[in-house]
Amino acid sequence: MPALIETRDLARHYQMGHAVVRALDGVSIAINAGEFVALVGASGSGKSTLLNLLAGLDRPTGGTLSVFGHDVSRMSRDELTNHRRKNVGIIFQSFNLVSTMTASDNVALAMMFAGVPRAQRDVRAHDLLAKMGLEGRQQHRPKEMSGGEQQRVAIARALANTPHVLLADEPTGNLDSKTSREIMSVLKELNERDGKAIVMVTHDAALASRYAHRTITMLDGAVVSETLS
Amino acid sequence: MTFADALALALRNLRQAKLRTGLTSMGVAIGIASLAGMVSLGVGLQEQVVNSFMRSGLFDTITVSAPPIVRFGRDGRARGGPGRGPFGRGLPGGREGGRPAPDGPQRVLDDAALKQLQALPGVKHAAPSVRVQVQVSFDQETEFVAASGVPMFSKDDDAFQALAAGHFFSSDTAPECLITSDMLKRFTARDPKDVIGQPLTMRYAATTAPGNGVPVERVEAPCAIVGVINRDPSPMNAIAGQSGLMLPLGKALEISAAQAMGPPGIAAVLLGQQSQPGVRTYQAVTVTTMKASGVQDVEDKIKTLGFQAFSLNDALAGAKRAFLLLDIFLSLIGSIALAVSSLGIINTMVMSILERTREIGIMKAIGGGDGDIRRIFLIEAGSIGLIGGASGVAIGWLVGRVINAGANYYIVSQGGTAGNFFSLPFWLVGGAIGFSVAVSLLAGSFPASRAARLDPIQALRHD
Repeated sequence: MPALIETRDLARHYQMGHAVVRALDGVSIAINAGEFVALVGASGSGKSTLLNLLAGLDRPTGGTLSVFGHDVSRMSRDELTNHRRKNVGIIFQSFNLVSTMTASDNVALAMMFAGVPRAQRDVRAHDLLAKMGLEGRQQHRPKEMSGGEQQRVAIARALANTPHVLLADEPTGNLDSKTSREIMSVLKELNERDGKAIVMVTHDAALASRYAHRTITMLDGAVVSETLS
Repeated sequence: MTFADALALALRNLRQAKLRTGLTSMGVAIGIASLAGMVSLGVGLQEQVVNSFMRSGLFDTITVSAPPIVRFGRDGRARGGPGRGPFGRGLPGGREGGRPAPDGPQRVLDDAALKQLQALPGVKHAAPSVRVQVQVSFDQETEFVAASGVPMFSKDDDAFQALAAGHFFSSDTAPECLITSDMLKRFTARDPKDVIGQPLTMRYAATTAPGNGVPVERVEAPCAIVGVINRDPSPMNAIAGQSGLMLPLGKALEISAAQAMGPPGIAAVLLGQQSQPGVRTYQAVTVTTMKASGVQDVEDKIKTLGFQAFSLNDALAGAKRAFLLLDIFLSLIGSIALAVSSLGIINTMVMSILERTREIGIMKAIGGGDGDIRRIFLIEAGSIGLIGGASGVAIGWLVGRVINAGANYYIVSQGGTAGNFFSLPFWLVGGAIGFSVAVSLLAGSFPASRAARLDPIQALRHD
């Protein structure tokens, strides 16, 4: 069975003045369908850069990155947009909800870009939020919600277009430990029950080993170790 | 993403920044108001002038004359006698009629020709143009005047609509006359109302024996003043051939016939326009067309009949060209305000995008395409243009009404007739709003493209 995501010598170099910053320098990893992978490492190790490349938010400067056999590094802007829209769902540390929209509208926004008709997306947004334990909170705005609730809205939004992979960048970084556990159990359930592959960036090695099937440790833009939990 | 979704998002964004949206739209509104107001003024003035030209009877009329056979020099003086000079002398911009058809029959302007002209398609009236030289005595004054014959159908002309006193002629041959207040002042200090019904004496020389030329008899003909024309509504009427004294056409023809065998008659003989005895001929015939646009057609037809014809059609076309230039000039002035307001749109959009950079990053991260983002912001700019354009046209209309009312108040107080100097036809309303939207889209296209090209990672880091 081919890997869901496969990178080969993936590199992302930045030009800073005359110096070249090698944020990512020759990463070759594979992520299989239904797998829960944690990317750990100190800040500046390149784990977020790798996640951004997987998400199609950024383009590699070298190597290949294939998702379902399609080379993301060679995609046009529109194809890349479609990749973000359909293939992956992104969850951020700072939630990144549109503050002026209700929870329901935030979830529906993702489906709006995918061209889902209004009635259909409103029903699905309502249901996804209910599934995230936010029944009755659908019409609240982010400001009226706790951090944990906001992250649940963000997860519902990431699931809106039924992606195969969830990409989470420090999803519990802004949450207290109790709420963190709740969010992690939501992710674990999505992985185990719905079979979503999850790639999670974290600096917390304990969290990684506890929830992920596999932990990839990075340093200075390269993979230093891979451990199965 | 459907257009309806993009529209909903764009309107939501506009609603969130009501003050900014309102102020920017107001800027556009002022720009459009000044543009629409200026064009409206140009169109209104043009309508005023063209309409008064039309009513003056200058531009829907054609003067027809018989082609001369003999020409004495180029000044054409030999073609007519004193007081019956060739019509259309020196009219500015006038179209000098075509040459006589070289092989055609020699045409004479008689009653048969009049009927023929009257029967041409597009012709409303055809009437002889007659001017007779008479000596007029009223009260203590005596003066030589060229009295013009006025056909009964002229009753509807502007000049005869607003009389200072009295009424139009009662019949075509009645011994009646109309006089301008200017001319009346030369004769008497009396009020126009007091001279209505008063007799005025005309004296002229008539030949006793037709064809003979001598002896000459002095004829005295009384006529009652039935109306006083306040003043020429248009200075053009002076050129149109109306003198201070007007007689019913039939009456004028009668006098003209009596004078016909005098010295002018000799000139007519020399010109070969002498008709058979008993057949009345005319120096010129004025043809009125149904509409001004038909003048050229009718004129061409008259020429193919073998007559000379001219109209002021070309002068009107020249005037229209001048108005086109005026419109362009006024539009340019009006456009300055719109150019400034389009900078306002750019500024507003750039601000709005800066403010929502993070939101744009979020949209891109969850699947918003470059085209989607661009469309949202273009719709925002277009909406500002639509709101601004519609209110601008409304403001322009209102200001135009106010200025118009003020101008008319002054004009009426000066004895003029009120007019509509700002015209806002439907095409101008639609055009102004459409232009506003187009300019706004153009102004919004740069910020919208900038938003579409934003790097999502950079945008997401933006606070």
